[in-house]
Amino acid sequence: MSTPMMRFVALVALASTASLAGCKRTLSVETGFRGTAQEVNFASTRLAAQLANTHIPAAIPPVPAAPPAGTTTWRNVQVLTDISPAELTRTMVAITSWVAPQQGCNYCHNPANFASDSLYTKVVARRMFQMVRQINGNWQNHVDGTGVTCYTCHAGNPVPHNVWYFTDQNQPLRHFLDRQDVRVQSRTVEPTEANRSSIKQTEYTYALMLTMSRSLGVNCTYCHMSPRWSDWSQSPPQRLTALRGIRMVRELNNSYLLPLAATLPAQRLGPRGDGPKVQCSTCHNGAYKPLYGAQMAKNYPALYAQANVAPAVQAADSAARANAQASPSVRQGTNSAPGLQPPGSASAGTPVGGAAGQGAAPATPAQQQRQTVTPASPVAAPPPAPARP
Amino acid sequence: MADYQNLFTRVQVRAAPDWGVPIPQPVFKRQLPPRFSHWLGKIGDAQIGPLYLGTTGVMSLIFGFAAFEIIGLNLWSQVHWNPVQFIRQLPWLSLDPPPPAYGLHFPPMDKGGWWLLAGFFLTVSVILWWVRLYQRAKALRMGTHLPWAFASAIWLFLVLGFIRPVLMGSFGEAVPFGIFPHLDWTAAFSIRYGNLFYNPFHMLSIAFLYGSTLLFAMHAGTILACSRLGAEREIEQITDRGTGAERAMLFWRWTMGWNATMESIHRWCWWFAVLTTLTGGIGILLTGTVVDNWFLWGQRHGIVPHYPRVYEQPLVPEQAGETRGDYQGVPPDTFPGLTNGPRANPYAQPAAAGTPAAAQNPASPTPVRQPQTNAIGQPTNAGSPAAADSGAPVPTTAGAPPPSPETTPPASQPSPSAGGRP
Repeated sequence: MSTPMMRFVALVALASTASLAGCKRTLSVETGFRGTAQEVNFASTRLAAQLANTHIPAAIPPVPAAPPAGTTTWRNVQVLTDISPAELTRTMVAITSWVAPQQGCNYCHNPANFASDSLYTKVVARRMFQMVRQINGNWQNHVDGTGVTCYTCHAGNPVPHNVWYFTDQNQPLRHFLDRQDVRVQSRTVEPTEANRSSIKQTEYTYALMLTMSRSLGVNCTYCHMSPRWSDWSQSPPQRLTALRGIRMVRELNNSYLLPLAATLPAQRLGPRGDGPKVQCSTCHNGAYKPLYGAQMAKNYPALYAQANVAPAVQAADSAARANAQASPSVRQGTNSAPGLQPPGSASAGTPVGGAAGQGAAPATPAQQQRQTVTPASPVAAPPPAPARP
Repeated sequence: MADYQNLFTRVQVRAAPDWGVPIPQPVFKRQLPPRFSHWLGKIGDAQIGPLYLGTTGVMSLIFGFAAFEIIGLNLWSQVHWNPVQFIRQLPWLSLDPPPPAYGLHFPPMDKGGWWLLAGFFLTVSVILWWVRLYQRAKALRMGTHLPWAFASAIWLFLVLGFIRPVLMGSFGEAVPFGIFPHLDWTAAFSIRYGNLFYNPFHMLSIAFLYGSTLLFAMHAGTILACSRLGAEREIEQITDRGTGAERAMLFWRWTMGWNATMESIHRWCWWFAVLTTLTGGIGILLTGTVVDNWFLWGQRHGIVPHYPRVYEQPLVPEQAGETRGDYQGVPPDTFPGLTNGPRANPYAQPAAAGTPAAAQNPASPTPVRQPQTNAIGQPTNAGSPAAADSGAPVPTTAGAPPPSPETTPPASQPSPSAGGRP
């Protein structure tokens, strides 16, 4: 080989090595059957940077155990009645650093009268405590023992990043609110009348899946088998966790966040007058586990409904949301965690204190059956459904 | 006239323009004097013209321009006629076919009517251009290989945009006009029908497509490599083989033991190119009409193995029930965005007693819905949970979801049967 040619080859080799070294290194880990491209991809350098940017607040030192405060010690405490006064104070310090570190106590409390509900933020915060307790208590099949804290979503911001509002362009996000089914691939070889999903509906599914992929910072095969997306028998177990996450988010939006729109001032509403709603990325924020699995919630008993105390429930409001729920037997996790209420107590429908907000907490078991047809409003029932031909 | 030039010559000959061969029945007077372009001479012949457009050519350009304008103006209107945003968002802008709920009926112009019109004009333009190719080939007493190769591409175009949508009963199945949107459509099409990779005609089409590029590279490389010996004069070399042709053939006999001839290599290339779109069109046509899930089809016919379960914990029956999701599109087409209007917020404050909800809250556009029926009297929005739990007129105070762009025609419109199959 001539010398100029060798020089050229050497130059090309050097240049390609340099360019490869500059790239983010992407690792692939095969998790499925060989040859199916069932693998998890991640950029190790980017992941390291994200980990370095993830700040986990230190836990506040615990306080000695004491009997619950109940409703008598404090005025106008409606949710955190099952923890001791010291624990309540500790929780307030924590939530201030999690949600409003710049604004301080007065972000939610009227400094002249801490018991007053005059600030909307206090009403919202109360509802958020109920929501967190619902997540940590009844959605263990999604959050597992890790649980969530205010910081999981808020991360030091009064309004979490990655909340969403109605716009013209985020239709797929309505799957986290009021749309149900995303399956488009047939279970049969030949076309049948059972599946008439159109290409446009498929694009809706596709967009939703990409939303989840970005929210978690994972590729498709983290949850799916790429030759056949719909096949559960080949799907990694993460897919089941994600499915329950969808149902959880749907319940949170319908039962906790949508009703808050009436409480929020205009500057907190979206362009169409709706309140902020959550999606996967609100908690996950680009990580496959929020805060990469940091165990924060276990240090704060206030984030779990204590046994024998049912959360505030206004079951009537949740009627229309029935078919968004899984069956209760599935939803109840098997892991026991501090303060996990016994199965069924959440749906006892016992209002405690004056339930704040207009919304509802979990649906009753009867309402949780999927495909239950329930009138959305007693004002006008929908036309009777004729039998299908 | 000695007008032969080597492909890579830097010399551009300037002489009287070449008016072309005489043909028996001249169809037009060659009056417009041809011109020369130095820069076009760098990559091809420096001479421009004479050009013949004729009736079909003119009409084709007019229809094509109309389609181009319809598409472009629709895209521009989507950014509220902002020229900067038009440039920035152009790759994502889309002129979409009508919602499936309209079936094969003509929708309102802003709900796919413009798409139908643009598609019609584009189809007319393409077919007129085909006629023009055919007529010019005949006028020059050539074979009609070029128009038939073009017809193969038109076949795929028509299958995608017209034939298959008609068989499926919905123009909503067709491809949108847009740069990324038509690619998204491709991805969604494969996802919907269980992975098009397992479609044997898709396999054939891909094989011919890749084969075309291979043949293109082999043939072009051979001719360029032998052009110093005159091999690019292929027509002459077919009948009177010179050194270039002989070396080209010898090269392939040495390297792979066999060679195409100077003539047959062009048949190879022509057929590979034509079969790419021909088989591709067949594969698209069978999808959704004959086969709904190509992966399962592949398993039935032994193309795809039945993979073993590899994850440790198979679903317990309870979980299996939980995972059995419903299809998005179920008869009679209950996709909320397609058959129902905006969904109201059921958590809103109830209206005062005795006050009509709509009157109290004019911001809520949700009308009282009547059961819709299609042409044969079947209900199209009743009998489903989606229809039932959203059909009630619920007032909103906390903000209604936005009206879906896929909203259906009003109940008075006949036969909004979505995505119906023949």
